[in-house]
Amino acid sequence: MSVSPDSATAVRAAADAAGESGRETLLSVRGLRVSVADGSEVVHGVDLDIPRGSAVGLVGESGSGKTLTCRAVLGLLPVGVEVTGGEISLRGTELTALPAAKRARLRGTDLAAVFQDPASYLNPSITVGAQLAEVLRVKIGLARRAARYRAVELLHAMGLRRPTHVYSQYPFELSGGMLQRVLIAMSITAEPELLIADEATTALDVTVQAEVLELLTELRRDRGLTLMIVSHDLAVISQMCDTVHVFRDGSIVEAGPTRRVLRVPRHPYTRELIENHERFGIDRVRKQRSQQ
Amino acid sequence: MTTLNVRDAAGRVAGPTAAADSASTGPVLTAIARTVVALGRALLIAVPVLLVSTFITFMLGGLTEQDPASLVLGDSATPADVARMREVFGLDKPLLLRYLLWLWSALHGDLGSSWFSKIPVAQSIAERLPVSLSVAVGALLIAVVLGCVFGILAAVRQGGWLDRTVTVVTSVLATVPGFIAAIALITVFSLLVPVLPSGGWVPPSAGLWKWASFLLLPSVSLSLDAAADVARQLRTGMADTLHENYIVGAQVRGLPGWRIVLVHALRNGAGPAVAVLGMHVPRLIGGAVIVETVFALPGIGDLTKTAALGGDVPVVQGALLVTIGVVLISSALVNVLLVKLRPAARREI
Repeated sequence: MSVSPDSATAVRAAADAAGESGRETLLSVRGLRVSVADGSEVVHGVDLDIPRGSAVGLVGESGSGKTLTCRAVLGLLPVGVEVTGGEISLRGTELTALPAAKRARLRGTDLAAVFQDPASYLNPSITVGAQLAEVLRVKIGLARRAARYRAVELLHAMGLRRPTHVYSQYPFELSGGMLQRVLIAMSITAEPELLIADEATTALDVTVQAEVLELLTELRRDRGLTLMIVSHDLAVISQMCDTVHVFRDGSIVEAGPTRRVLRVPRHPYTRELIENHERFGIDRVRKQRSQQ
Repeated sequence: MTTLNVRDAAGRVAGPTAAADSASTGPVLTAIARTVVALGRALLIAVPVLLVSTFITFMLGGLTEQDPASLVLGDSATPADVARMREVFGLDKPLLLRYLLWLWSALHGDLGSSWFSKIPVAQSIAERLPVSLSVAVGALLIAVVLGCVFGILAAVRQGGWLDRTVTVVTSVLATVPGFIAAIALITVFSLLVPVLPSGGWVPPSAGLWKWASFLLLPSVSLSLDAAADVARQLRTGMADTLHENYIVGAQVRGLPGWRIVLVHALRNGAGPAVAVLGMHVPRLIGGAVIVETVFALPGIGDLTKTAALGGDVPVVQGALLVTIGVVLISSALVNVLLVKLRPAARREI
């Protein structure tokens, strides 16, 4: 899929907008290419700029390359999938050249991520509290007792009621919303600057989704956490993000400030996405009722 | 909705402190409760198994055509002597009554005496059990260490040369009978490179090194198929586990690779290997007959073999009782270990 001149200018515009706001670029992805084992390329030269403290959205249908882009940034591509070109730099440090052990050390302390289906990302045989305390011991170097105390405190700060009870629960004993809060607690505990939320609220019901999004907004406001939000849901993106990148078939077809992209979409695919959302979204029904 | 202000966190210090203390006792209590339940369940199974298996062996002893009284007395005995001997052995009573009498005295710690040597069964077992147990424990340790090291390495290096080598070697080892391995080991380490004794036994009091040198070859030959099975099960279990999302989750949290493999993957992938190890324990203790014969070890297996060939029912019964007891204890331990490894699996029970 070739990038149209239209979208190329849009990408530049987004970069300019970030420059104008005077915020330094935290993460910069340049010409990222990702290929699978049989040699076929699935991400074709993606450019992304994420200013410190901002919230950047990645939107597009499944298989469009959003998740692989995130996994490449994390350095956790599935077996057989690898970066075949481009640069990923975090605060000027080139990540693709780093050895695996160094990248592992960056995860948690510099960049972190939460995903869809939180239950599957927790060890089913260890209590959630022990897993949170493990991160505190390994990444921050707290002693056992201090880690347990701090873990309960963090669970409480994530808005979980009865944190001590939650501490001793196994993943299968908690609901999806609670688990996502636990995972968010784990991911921010070593104070990373960038949090990638890959479809983090997709499987949750609407009220829980709203609460988790609210928690992310608070973390951004209170801790200056930079967010990279991946979703196929335009509603989530429009609520959370300053800028949005529209993915299709492994390329970014349009990028810019969220308001501008949603109000005046330039690329046909973006228009299609928004139209579908309008056609099948709840707003349409509500508008009809008010007209009657 | 709570916020993350410093003031908030400080203001709540009282809450989480009290809470953190109970968090430390809560999981401990439930863990103990779970262990007790698992042990209780194992014991509930153990009692009927013990009764049925001892009864069957007793029946088999009674059904054989051998008449121990005439065997003991020899060819020159008169029928009157034989009848008197049968009375002494209690063979004139019905089989079921004999079983109940045996069970009653066994419950009081009296396993009777050998019909031939008159040595109390409990005494011969007490003499021989340490030999069998030390060989079995040695074999168990070797099986666990070798099985874990190669199983984990093969799982981590899936598809690599190490993985393929482990697969081939374990397939071969699992099919080699223990006595072949024993003879091969004796040939190499006692004949070609004479560093270890080819058989026999010394007690630990004769020196720990000497004791260990006599133990090493029997333990290794007894452990090989268990080690191979553990390695194969661990490799399969861990290979599946390493593809789970929670491994990616642990990687995202930035945990070091060894911790992810040894804490997160091993815990969930070790179940089948532990179960297989549990099934090998009976073979290590009860099935050591051949290895004990090859290495001329005075163990339980040797005792059982001699007694069974001579028709010495009390000795066979006593040895079986001990073997069954050890097997039941080990399977109870395995069950407890499985519950501890994967608490979530209790939903599946």
